[in-house]
Amino acid sequence: MADRRRINGPVGVTSPPVYANHTPGKAQKDTVQQRPDNTLRQIFLKTGITPSASGSAYLEVTGPSTNGPSGLKLNCTVHGPRSLAKSTPFTPYTTLTTHVKYAPFATRQRRGYLRDSSEKDLGVHLETALRGVIIADRWPKSGVDIIVTVLEGDQPREVFKGTPDEGIDAMNVLSGCITVASAAIADAGIDCVDMVAGGVAALVASEEDKGEPRFVLDPAPSEHDKILAGCCVAYLPSRDEITNLWYKGQTSGNDTLLYTQLVEKAVQASRGANKVLVDTLKEGVTEAGKQSKGSMEVDR
Amino acid sequence: MATNQQQVLISPAELAYLHASLSLSPEPIRPDGRSSTQFRPLVAETDILPGTNGSARICFADGSEAIVGVKVEVEKTKPKAGAMINPEEGKEEKGDTGVEGGGGFDDDKKNYSNDWVELAVDIPGHRDDDPGTAFLGNMILEALLEDGELVKRLRINSRFHWKMYLDVLLISQPLSYPLPLLSLTTHLALLSTRLPCLISEGDEDPMFDDDWAASTNLYPPRGEKSKLSTSRPPITLLVMSVGHSILFDPTYEELAVADAVLAVSVSEEPTKPVPQDTIATPKQAKDRALRLLSIRSIDPPSRITPPGVPNGLNPATNGEVAGLQPKHAEARTAEVPATEGVWKAPRGGVSRSVLSAMVFKALEKGGVADEVLDGLQGVEMASEILE
Repeated sequence: MADRRRINGPVGVTSPPVYANHTPGKAQKDTVQQRPDNTLRQIFLKTGITPSASGSAYLEVTGPSTNGPSGLKLNCTVHGPRSLAKSTPFTPYTTLTTHVKYAPFATRQRRGYLRDSSEKDLGVHLETALRGVIIADRWPKSGVDIIVTVLEGDQPREVFKGTPDEGIDAMNVLSGCITVASAAIADAGIDCVDMVAGGVAALVASEEDKGEPRFVLDPAPSEHDKILAGCCVAYLPSRDEITNLWYKGQTSGNDTLLYTQLVEKAVQASRGANKVLVDTLKEGVTEAGKQSKGSMEVDR
Repeated sequence: MATNQQQVLISPAELAYLHASLSLSPEPIRPDGRSSTQFRPLVAETDILPGTNGSARICFADGSEAIVGVKVEVEKTKPKAGAMINPEEGKEEKGDTGVEGGGGFDDDKKNYSNDWVELAVDIPGHRDDDPGTAFLGNMILEALLEDGELVKRLRINSRFHWKMYLDVLLISQPLSYPLPLLSLTTHLALLSTRLPCLISEGDEDPMFDDDWAASTNLYPPRGEKSKLSTSRPPITLLVMSVGHSILFDPTYEELAVADAVLAVSVSEEPTKPVPQDTIATPKQAKDRALRLLSIRSIDPPSRITPPGVPNGLNPATNGEVAGLQPKHAEARTAEVPATEGVWKAPRGGVSRSVLSAMVFKALEKGGVADEVLDGLQGVEMASEILE
C-alpha cells in the first residue's frame, strides 16, 4: 500500500556514493572482528529519557567498526497501563501492543513511514517475548503500548555487502528491542516476573578458518563471510526460562547438539545484556533517591 | 499472534479440565481422541487452478480449508549492489558460467536474491495490515528461503530469473492457528508448479516453448532423471507443550491451555544429483535425513485466558464452602496461589529442556515430520498417476 498522504522520498534506491578506499585485494572483507568470540559488543543503556511517557529507555550498541559512531541505536517508550477505549470488550488482562518501527533513515535502504511486513514481524516477536514477563492480571481492562523506534540499524553505511544478511540483522535488532523494552517497562513500574533480556549467537564460517564453523556471541554480519545459523532468545535469568526463541539456519536434523549449543550461547549473550540492564536500573534508582533528597519532586 | 487478540471463549472450568487431561502422563488424553503425535485427517488435491503455474488445496477435518496459487514471471536480474564500485566484479561474472551448484562459498557469488519470491497470506476477518498475518507469512517464507533450494531453481541465466508469487488464501474461518494448514498447502502447490520449457541457450534473452505439455516441473518428481538435487520444499509443524506432554497439530481448545507453542520448519536433506544412468527410487522414511531450518516461538493464547476463582475467595460462595478463611474485600484475585483444579494462565516462559524436547521430537527419525512428508508424497504420487 503506497503512502499518499505525505511527500515521499524518490521511488527506488538512492544510495550515497561510497568510494573504495581499501586495497582492492581486500574488498570482500568489510570489517575485521576485533573482539574474542565469546564477548559482546559494548552496550550503552539509559532509562527515563522521555519525560512524557510512563517509562522510556535508550539503547546503543557499538558497531562492528570501532572507528565510527555507527551502531545499533534504539529508543523505547512505554505508555500505560491506561484504560482501554469504551468500545473494547472486557479483558481480564492488560492488553499489550508492541510497535517496532525503523526510522526512514535507519538503514541503507530507505524505509517508508508505514510499517512494512518485516517491522510488523519484529513487533510480534517482541510481543511474544514480553507477554510472558509482564504480570498482566494485575491490570484488568487496561492497555500498555510499547513503541520501539530504531534510530540506526546495525549496518554501517560504509559496509558494502552484496547481499545483506537480513536474518542476523533482524535478530540483532530484535535482541536490542527486547532489552530496551525490558528497561522501559521497569522504568514505567509495571510488575514483571523477571527482567528479560535478548541475546543473539551465530554459527559462522570464514575463509581464514578454512570454512571451519565456530560460534560467535552477538555477531556482526559484516565481520563474517558466511553465517550458517543464528539464534535469538529472550531469556529470564532468575527463572532460567525462555519466552521467545527464534532460530534460523541450515543444520542437519541428526546434529541436534548444534542447535542445543547455539541456544546455550544465545542464553550466555542474554546474561551479558541482563547485567547491563540490572546495573542501569540500579543506577537509576540511586539517582532518583538523590534527587528526591534534594527536595525535588520526582513525578511520574 | 493476531488470533490472540480475540477472547478465548472457553470457561475457566473447561480450561482446567483440558489442562489436566492434556498433561496426563504417559499418554495425554486429547479432546478428539488423537495420540500426541497424530495429525488431523486431511483431504488434499493439486493442480486445481488452471490459470496458475501450480496450485493446491487442503481441507482439514475440522472444516478449515486453504488454497495456494503459484504464479511466475520472467524478470531481469539486478546486478549485485557492489557492482558499480567493485573492480573485481567482472571476474566474478565470468566465473559464474562455470560449474553449477558448487556449494560452499561459490554459491554466494551467484546473485541469487531472496527478493525473487514474494508471499502473501490472506485470512478472512483479518485486516491486510494485521501484524499476525505478516508474522504467519514471514514464517512460511523464512523456511522457503532458508532452505535455499527454491531460489536456486528460479535462476534462468545470469541475466534473467523467474519471479515467483505465492498467494496463500485461507478460505474458512481461522478455527485454530492455521500455520500447519498453510504450510502444507504451500508445499503441495510448489510440488505441482510447472515452468515453461526453456529453448534459448546460455545468457541470451530467454525464449520458451509454447507447448504447455513440454513444461518442466519446478521440483522434478522422484524417479525422473534430472540435473537438480532431489530436494523437496520445507514444511512447518506446530508443536505445543502442556506440563510434560508434547502435542503436535494442536486444535483451538488445546492451544488455549498451552505452556509454549513452537513452529518448527524442517525439510529433507537434499541428495546429490543422481547420475543420468541410474533412476532414483522414492525415499522411504528410514533413509530420509531431516534438516532443521527455522524455529519460532508463538505467543500461546493461554496467556489471555480468564482465570478461575477458587471457592475460598469467591464472593458468591462467601468463602465458606472450602472451609478456608473468609474472603477479604481487598484481597486481590491476582495473588491467588495455584490451586488444584482452578485454572490460572501461565506466567513466564518455558525452560530450555522443554523447548529442546519439543524440537527433538519434531525431528525424530520416523516421527511426525517423516509421517507428514510420507503423506504428502502420497498426494504427489497420486496426482502423477491421474496425469
